[in-house]
Amino acid sequence: MKRMLACLTVALGLSLGGGWGTSAQALTRGGTFTFGAYADVIFFDPVYQQQTVDIWFSLNIYDTLLQPTADGKGLQPGLASACELSPDGLTMTLTLRPGMKFSDGSPILASDVKFTLDRGHSKEEGGNYYFLLAAVDSVDAVGDDKVVIHFKRPDPTFPQILASFYTAVVPEKQMKAAPGATLREKARAFSEHPIGSGPFILSSWTHGSSFVLTRNPYYWKQGEDGKALPYLDEVKVEIIPDDATRILKLKAGEVNGVEFVPFSRAVELKADPKINMVLFPAAKIVYIALNIRPTLKDGSKNPLADKRVRQALNYAVEKKAIAQIVTYGMGVPQVTLPPASTPLAMTDKGEPYPYDPAKAKALLKEAGFESGLDLSIYTLAGNADNAAELAAIQQMWGEIGVRLKILPLDSSTGIAKYRASDFQMRTAAFTNDYNDPSQIVSYMAYFPAYESNRSGFNDAELNGLFEKSQVETDPAKRAALYRRIQEIYIDAAPMVFLLDTPYPVALDKKTQGFVQLPLGNYLFSGVHMEP
Amino acid sequence: MLSASYVGRRLAQIVPTLLLAMVLVFVLAHLLPGDPAIALLGERATTEAVERTRQALGVDRPLIEQFGLYVQGLVTGDLGRSMILRVPVAELILQRLPVTVMLTLMAALLAAVIAVPFALIAALRRGSALDALIRGAFQLGVSMPVFYIGLVLLIVLAAGLGWFPVGGFGDTIPDHIYHLLLPALTLAMSLSAILMRNLRASLIEVLDAEYVTFATAKGLSRKLVLLRHVLRNAAISTVTLFGLHIGSLVGGAVITETVFAIPGLGRLMVDSIFSRDYQVVQGLTLVIAVLVSLVFLAVDIVLAMLDPRHST
Repeated sequence: MKRMLACLTVALGLSLGGGWGTSAQALTRGGTFTFGAYADVIFFDPVYQQQTVDIWFSLNIYDTLLQPTADGKGLQPGLASACELSPDGLTMTLTLRPGMKFSDGSPILASDVKFTLDRGHSKEEGGNYYFLLAAVDSVDAVGDDKVVIHFKRPDPTFPQILASFYTAVVPEKQMKAAPGATLREKARAFSEHPIGSGPFILSSWTHGSSFVLTRNPYYWKQGEDGKALPYLDEVKVEIIPDDATRILKLKAGEVNGVEFVPFSRAVELKADPKINMVLFPAAKIVYIALNIRPTLKDGSKNPLADKRVRQALNYAVEKKAIAQIVTYGMGVPQVTLPPASTPLAMTDKGEPYPYDPAKAKALLKEAGFESGLDLSIYTLAGNADNAAELAAIQQMWGEIGVRLKILPLDSSTGIAKYRASDFQMRTAAFTNDYNDPSQIVSYMAYFPAYESNRSGFNDAELNGLFEKSQVETDPAKRAALYRRIQEIYIDAAPMVFLLDTPYPVALDKKTQGFVQLPLGNYLFSGVHMEP
Repeated sequence: MLSASYVGRRLAQIVPTLLLAMVLVFVLAHLLPGDPAIALLGERATTEAVERTRQALGVDRPLIEQFGLYVQGLVTGDLGRSMILRVPVAELILQRLPVTVMLTLMAALLAAVIAVPFALIAALRRGSALDALIRGAFQLGVSMPVFYIGLVLLIVLAAGLGWFPVGGFGDTIPDHIYHLLLPALTLAMSLSAILMRNLRASLIEVLDAEYVTFATAKGLSRKLVLLRHVLRNAAISTVTLFGLHIGSLVGGAVITETVFAIPGLGRLMVDSIFSRDYQVVQGLTLVIAVLVSLVFLAVDIVLAMLDPRHST
């Protein structure tokens, strides 16, 4: 167990977290939980999932080798009961829990784990997240219960990746037996009636309308009452795209819970005695992306190339007011680059640029923009939250002499312009896909990967620190590297820091034990319905 | 009398309409800015992944070639595959077609059931307070947007009084009908207002006609006069209008299906446009064009039966 601890703590510098907490009182077993979702799953496959919705529901059907703790920060054993890492960080040995079965009753073998990891690793067969397994050299199945992973280089994020949707274990034989010429086609057929080892089985699915998850009798994990999870017999997910209708369904008692409650409605639901309005901490930031290249695509000079201008823009935004306007007080000011729920996020320093219009003006004056400047921002057309946010920011920046031109675009065009670095500013948001700061840092701060979120920000020291952090297996050293990375990034301000926002979920009073992880995943195994 | 050659002629006229619809929809779908591969993968996808996906989807080929493949598929009855859901478009549409057809038929039926009696009452009592009341109430129906009527009905009749389910489609046929009543009523509201006003005006015109006075003078019962002579003749323009508006019912279904969480063609259309799923948008538009053409054909046949002069 000691060595196991070492394996789990490499990524985090945290000890093993507790279980998924539910209160210790007597639990009611059985029953159905009906959940109103805004969109349907497209592809129930860990590797070929096509959208966030697919990922968020998948951990109820498929199980992972390690599991996140309920706060999303720590890790605990999953299908693997032990995990050992060699001192050089190049070999990881996973031991499978004895006697485990897939939902069709067949045993979970080390060869299934190998198949799972090989499938995700292969560029041809893998999905869009194959880079998550980039450090893996090869995977060996030793006997039926041991898996040995050989790495090309140490990868401190790997334990977190073993707890993510992407490496959830699928049965080799059953998937290969599905009809189809390629593995992707087979996976498509397989995913209509998937076989996993999660707490539930997909028992029916009417695309675009609803799907039903029923209890997996072979699930290994125990509940608070000492008996096997899940508590529920069934989870029914109904697809209700309209926000108002979803909430009405909850109020009428036709569903027990709904996701994506608009913040504007959450206030009203909080006051409703029959409803339990919950805000789950999310690994999500809402910010303004900047392009800091000296010249823009249209050839014009870009004032954002001057750090003082970027810092001034940051100082001139009153984040608490934005939190009120956009999230009705349910979001909080962003404190650092990664979402605050991310391990190693630097959350002890408070807001990086507290509201200070005088300082902002002084910085602009220093940068030679005493008489003001013109800036433009792209935003998603028809998005009410963005419109409200920008109306407020336009006014706040107006006070320091910034004349902001707001240009609404449809989503596809906006993304295309972004990918071509053809923007000055844009409204944006980021959610972690796995629980480690390396994702957002590689995406937004490390130039070689994505030109730092297409901002053009390129800091040699930061790039070097990040490369070091990617192979640093000592938790304390890795934490120090990330601290420095965040300090550099904050000082350079290649974004306007705005908010950390939660996931608003509304439940009826019967529903207990509902968990949404910071990464968005729903965990229905701990849900129980109390009369 | 209704002749087979008339129906044949009308059917032949549908063909160029559909061809034109096919070309238009292909061009329009591809004029939409944005790339399906990017819509599919999101902004964080690598350039390599986007290229791979573009190739897999076939959107990297010249437009003319894409159109050729599309027409070639259509000839063999293949509407293509959804780029996003990766299933045959025909399968997707067939799954959802019955839902929208059922919703539209129920809405059309409800609209007629509501419009005809009120139009009769209003026309017979023309100028009275009752007439004004009916016209006022229907005016309200036509001036409210569909999504608003839908939400009001949901809040009052479903969430408030609990008489109807709040959206969804149910599992059995009686359950489907029960679930579709409110959305059908929502769709029927504005249509019934249009029909009522039109029918009332025609009824008044016909009621004043000499042949009606003559029929009454002949000693025919009031009921017989109203049904055989008045309603039948007044219905001609209303049936035409009704047919024209069935097309807009399908359009209204796009909104209604979203508000009421009904898995029909309208919602499929909205989802597919947002995700740039060209194949599905094309397939849907074609199917809807066929449906509307068939409705127009049915209207012409009904008109020919009401008034034989129409079939010449």
